[in-house]
Amino acid sequence: MENLAQEVMDKLKTWARVNSPWAIHFNSGSCNGCDIEILATFTPRYDVERFGIKLQGSPRHADVLVCTGPVTLQARDRLLRIYEQMPEPKFVVAVGSCGISGGVFQGCYNVVGDISEVIPVNVYIPGCPPRPEAIIHGIVELLKSLQK
Amino acid sequence: MEAKQKSEKFVVPIGPQHPALKEPGHFEFTVDGEIVTNATARLGFVHRGMEKGVEDRNWTQGLYLMERVCGICSHVHAMAYALGVEKLANIQAPPRAQAIRELVAELERIHSHLLWLGVAAHEGGFDTLFMFSWRDRETVMDLLETITGNRVNYSANVLGGVKIDINDAQKDALRRGMDFLEERTKHYLKVVTEDETFLGRTRKIGVMTYEEATLLGAIGPTGRASGVQRDVRVDSPYAGYPDFPVNIVTSVAGDLEARFVVRIKELYESYRLVREIVDHLPGGDLTVKVPRRIPEGEVISRVEAPRGELFYFMKSNGTDKPERIKVRTPSLCNWGSVLTTAIGHKLADMPMILAGIDPCFSCNDRMVMISGKKTETQVWDWEDLRQYGIEYYK
Amino acid sequence: MDTQELLQQALEIVKEWTIEVSQPEENRRDIYIDARDIKPAVKALLIDSHWGYLSAITGLDSPDYEIDEETKERKVDPQKGKLEVLYHFCNKAAIATLRVRLPYTDAEIDSICDMLPSASFYEREAMELIGVNFRNTPIADHLILPENWPAGVYPLRKAFKGLEKKTQG
Repeated sequence: MENLAQEVMDKLKTWARVNSPWAIHFNSGSCNGCDIEILATFTPRYDVERFGIKLQGSPRHADVLVCTGPVTLQARDRLLRIYEQMPEPKFVVAVGSCGISGGVFQGCYNVVGDISEVIPVNVYIPGCPPRPEAIIHGIVELLKSLQK
Repeated sequence: MEAKQKSEKFVVPIGPQHPALKEPGHFEFTVDGEIVTNATARLGFVHRGMEKGVEDRNWTQGLYLMERVCGICSHVHAMAYALGVEKLANIQAPPRAQAIRELVAELERIHSHLLWLGVAAHEGGFDTLFMFSWRDRETVMDLLETITGNRVNYSANVLGGVKIDINDAQKDALRRGMDFLEERTKHYLKVVTEDETFLGRTRKIGVMTYEEATLLGAIGPTGRASGVQRDVRVDSPYAGYPDFPVNIVTSVAGDLEARFVVRIKELYESYRLVREIVDHLPGGDLTVKVPRRIPEGEVISRVEAPRGELFYFMKSNGTDKPERIKVRTPSLCNWGSVLTTAIGHKLADMPMILAGIDPCFSCNDRMVMISGKKTETQVWDWEDLRQYGIEYYK
Repeated sequence: MDTQELLQQALEIVKEWTIEVSQPEENRRDIYIDARDIKPAVKALLIDSHWGYLSAITGLDSPDYEIDEETKERKVDPQKGKLEVLYHFCNKAAIATLRVRLPYTDAEIDSICDMLPSASFYEREAMELIGVNFRNTPIADHLILPENWPAGVYPLRKAFKGLEKKTQG
C-alpha cells in the first residue's frame, strides 16, 4: 500500500515538475548574448510561461538551473553555492557554447570553461548564442526525459 | 546636543536570479535614513581576461574574440577592432562595406535602446512597457537575422570590410521595419513624457548637472542628457558616417526623464539613417585585402556604442598577433557618473538611477565604491530593492 | 578649431613638462613627460584649460628579454623592463596622450583622483593588471580580479603565462 502511495506521489511530483518547472537563471560570466535570448523566451513572441515554466528568484524553490557563461573564477564559488541551495531533485541546463568548452574564451586566464567542471550538467544547448527556439527545445527535452 | 546619525549599510547582491538585470554583480549602499550617502558595486564576475587572450590569437581570431566582449553591442566592438587593424595596415575598407557597417551599427543601436527601455521600465515596475518594447524589438532582431544570419553576435565585420551584402528584398524589409518601429516609438515617447506614474519616478530624479557630466567624463546618452555635446559619430566620424552623418541628440534637464527621452529620440535618428543608407547604398566591393602580418604601430580606434564612446588602443609589433589591445568600454565612464548621482538620493530611486545609465556589466567589470560609516549591514537582493522602489512610489 | 589647432593648443598647454612629442597618427600627439610632472600636466590640461576629457588610461608592458644560457630561450628580465602609462585625453577628433615611462624597479606615480574622482576606475584597473602603483589613489582594492588572486601577479605583463594551478571544481 505504501509503495502505491509513493508511486502516486512520485507521479504527481513529476507531473508538477514537468508541467511547471521553476527555473532560476545564473550568469557565470557570459557576454550576455545568451542571457538576453533566455529573457526573450519570456516575452510575448516566445512566451514560455504558457508552458508553465516560471523564472523566479530563489534557488531554494528551483527545479532547474539555467546557466550561461564560461564560469569566471569569481563566479565559480557562487555557482556552486546556488547549486547546493537547490533542493533535490535538481537539473542543470547549460546554455551557450561557453558552458560547454569555454567558447571563444577557452584558455583565458580568468575562466574555467566547461560548467560541468563545477557542477553536473544535464543538458547542453550549444550556440553563440542559441536562438530562443533552441533554448526552449533544450528545456523541453529535459522535461520529456523527466517524464520517463 | 548633536543628534546621533544613524547610518545603515544595505548590501544588495544582484543575483543572477534577477530576470531583468541579467548580469551578475553586487551593490552596496550606505544610507542615512532614506538618503544614500555612499554606493559601491562589486563586479568582476564577468572578467574573462580577454586583453591577455587576444595576444595569443592572430588578428583574425582576435576579431571573433572581441565581438564577444558584449552580446548586446557586439558589432561596435568588432567594428572598432577592424577599423583599428585597417588603420595599422594603412588600408581603407570600400565605401559599400563602410555603409553596411554603419547600417548594422544603427540597427544594433535600435535593438540596444529598445532592450534598455524594457529593462529600465521593468526596474520601475512598468512591466507592460517592458513587454511591449521587447515584442517590438523582435522586429529589429528579425531584420538583423535576415541580413546577417544571426540575431545576436552578427559577425558582419571581417578585417578589410564586411561579409554580408544587402539585396533588394532585404532593403524593402528594412524600410518596412523602420516604418513600423517609428510608429511604435511615438507611443513610447508619449508614455515616457506624459504618464504621471512614470514621471513620478523619472522627472527631476538622478540629476547630473552639465558641469558634473563634463568633469566626470560622462559620455553617450547619459552625458548627452545633461547637455554634453559628445558623440563620436559627430566628433570623429568613422565607417560610413562621413557620408551618412548623424544629428546629435541632447537634452538639458540631466534627469532620468532626459535619459529616456534622449535614447528614444536617438531611435528616430537611427531609423532615418537606416532608411538613408538603404536608399543610397554605394556600389562596389565588400572587402579589401588585409595582410596577415600587420605593420608595427599604435592606433586608437573610437566608435559610438549605444552606451557611449568605446575606446580601443591597439599596438602591433609587426607580427600576425597583436602586441596589446586595450578596451575601455563606455559603461566604465558612466559608472563614475552614477557614483555622483546616487549620493543624496533616496534608496528607492537606486534601481532606476542604475538602470538609467544603461549599465553593461559584461562590457565592463568595474567596481563602484561608496564608503560610509556602518552600524548595521542588511542584505537585500535586487528584487527586494526593486520592489522597495515600486512600493515607495505607490 | 580644427583637429590640428586643438592639438597645437594641447602641446602649448603642457609645454613646460614635455620631454618629447611623437605623432603616431594624424589626429594624435603623444607627449612624453616625467612621472613627477603628471599632476601639474593633468591640472593644466584638464582642470585649468578644460581641454577635452580623460577617455582612458592604458598600461603597457615593454619588457627586456634575456636569453637563458642553457635553454637558449627568451625570457623576460625581471629587473630591466619598463612600464608605460598613457593618459588619453580626447577633444572632438583630437587625442592628446600624456605618456609616462616607469622602470619595473620603480613603477610608481601619483594618483590624479583628487582632481578627477572618476579616474579611480582606470587607476585601479592599471594597478592590478599591469602593476603600477598609483600613490594616494582613494581605493586600492581589486576592481575586476578575484579577491584571492595571488599578490604581485600582473596578468597583463608579458611574463604572465596563466595561473599555475587552475581551478579546483
